[in-house]
Amino acid sequence: MAITPMEVYKLLPKTNCKKCGEATCMSFAFKVINRERKLEDCTPLFEEKKYAPQLEELKKMLKGIEEATETGLIVDEELCSGCANCVVVCPVHASDDPYGMGSGYGPTIDDPILRIEDGVVKVINMKKCRRYGKNRILCVACRENCPSDAIRFVEG
Amino acid sequence: MVTCAGCSCLCTDIVVKDKVFNACRRGASIFRNAENNKAKPKVDGKEVDFDTALNKAIELISNSKNLAVYGLDTVPLEAQELAIKLAEKKEAFIDDNSSFCLGDFVEMILKKEIPTTTLDEVKKNAYVIFYWGTDPYNSLSRHLSLYTYYPRAGKRQRGYEEDRFLVVVDVRKSHTAKLAKKNARFIQVNNDLELIDGFISALDGKAGNYFKDVSRIISEMKRADFNVIFGGLGLKYGLNSDYSRFLEMVNKMNEISNVYFLPAGFHANMRGFNELMFEKTGFVNRYSFREGKASKDFEFKNLILNDEIDTALIIGTDPLNSLPFEVARKLSKIKKIVIDPKNTFTARTADVVLPSAITGYDQGGTMVRSDGVRIEVEPLKEGDVSDISILKRILEGI
Repeated sequence: MAITPMEVYKLLPKTNCKKCGEATCMSFAFKVINRERKLEDCTPLFEEKKYAPQLEELKKMLKGIEEATETGLIVDEELCSGCANCVVVCPVHASDDPYGMGSGYGPTIDDPILRIEDGVVKVINMKKCRRYGKNRILCVACRENCPSDAIRFVEG
Repeated sequence: MVTCAGCSCLCTDIVVKDKVFNACRRGASIFRNAENNKAKPKVDGKEVDFDTALNKAIELISNSKNLAVYGLDTVPLEAQELAIKLAEKKEAFIDDNSSFCLGDFVEMILKKEIPTTTLDEVKKNAYVIFYWGTDPYNSLSRHLSLYTYYPRAGKRQRGYEEDRFLVVVDVRKSHTAKLAKKNARFIQVNNDLELIDGFISALDGKAGNYFKDVSRIISEMKRADFNVIFGGLGLKYGLNSDYSRFLEMVNKMNEISNVYFLPAGFHANMRGFNELMFEKTGFVNRYSFREGKASKDFEFKNLILNDEIDTALIIGTDPLNSLPFEVARKLSKIKKIVIDPKNTFTARTADVVLPSAITGYDQGGTMVRSDGVRIEVEPLKEGDVSDISILKRILEGI
């Protein structure tokens, strides 16, 4: 499951009041997802009581974004069962470690993108991920094969 | 590297340093919590030294007229052999969890009634992979990533998206069913027999139940010479102990392509116990050495419900926790000797508790994976007592 600007937009006041400096609430939502703006910049959301339930929900949703890596990957360890599907499906792992992770085993290289530690998935080296850097590819192989939604991406 | 004996996958690539690497959540917790909640030698709930507890156990077993030996699915083959010897010597009943778990499937495999294969062959060759009535994401977490759908090996180098076809059959959209996306099918069934009939009709060239899904799967099966069905408890209970239609379906499938069957899901060495019993008696479980035969009446829970036994020797399992309340209530009233590394619920109410070791942590031995491959398990560290040493001493004492 991804956190998209539309999900954020739905919970904003949707008045296009421009108090945040953005032309529309939608553009503000995009910038929040990309971590260029903070939720606090939307002053009506905090000042007007009628938005309180929406604010709570937004805070909950955006908590994950704060923990996201540079590529927008969020790992919820509580939901992870350590199945290693994400580790094995990763195309980078398959090419760099064909007889280890590419064949279903634990990594035989020192700097995998993801690794299972103490029964849950941990991000080790995000720089190897296809989503990293300017020429990124929006690969979602690890997320697609995590049935418990322990892996998510921020998609701005 | 060590072997994890947490489930029947028996993953051999686990690294234990300051952290546990590569193991799933369940496997990692075995190593991380190995020193917690340890059992202590006890007689009538009071802590005693090990030899006193052992002598009391020998006394109870010697005095018992109707003994049942139960559990054994988490201990190595060498310990299971001794337990079977003990049951034989005492003319006792012997049973394990496979009597209500997947023992029937293992029996069909051992009797060669159904074609089977190994997980290594599945990894190298399998194209259509069925998970029928099982949710390996939760019960055998690394099954899909290590052996079946995801790994690239042998003929299947192009990965799950192009080189494998997943079929999940379940009564609900399980976690594993959520993985059935591209190149896959999830079939939600109310009655397994309806789907089996659907397959049989389609293979006969007639339209039947679930025709759209079934005909697609059959055409996919024809594309490869190696397909596999993993059957779980859902399939066993769905078939209600009548496997004839299922066997007919597998035989018919084998006329168009090679289709193999493997059970999915059970304790680490359940198949080992089944194989040992089959070698010795021709039955896989629920056996009485006095009667010389196996029967549903000799199932551990039925023995308790029918007041057939006076003493139970429980090894490496926690029946008070896992069996139905009615059985557990009656079990609490008979004499119990528990051999277990942990202070389980059953151990808390047992007459004698003998602490043993955890396979793969402080005891080694041979374990049999769900596909029948024997794996030598090396312990991470050497412990003082093991199931093998305890059972050897009991056997000498009685």
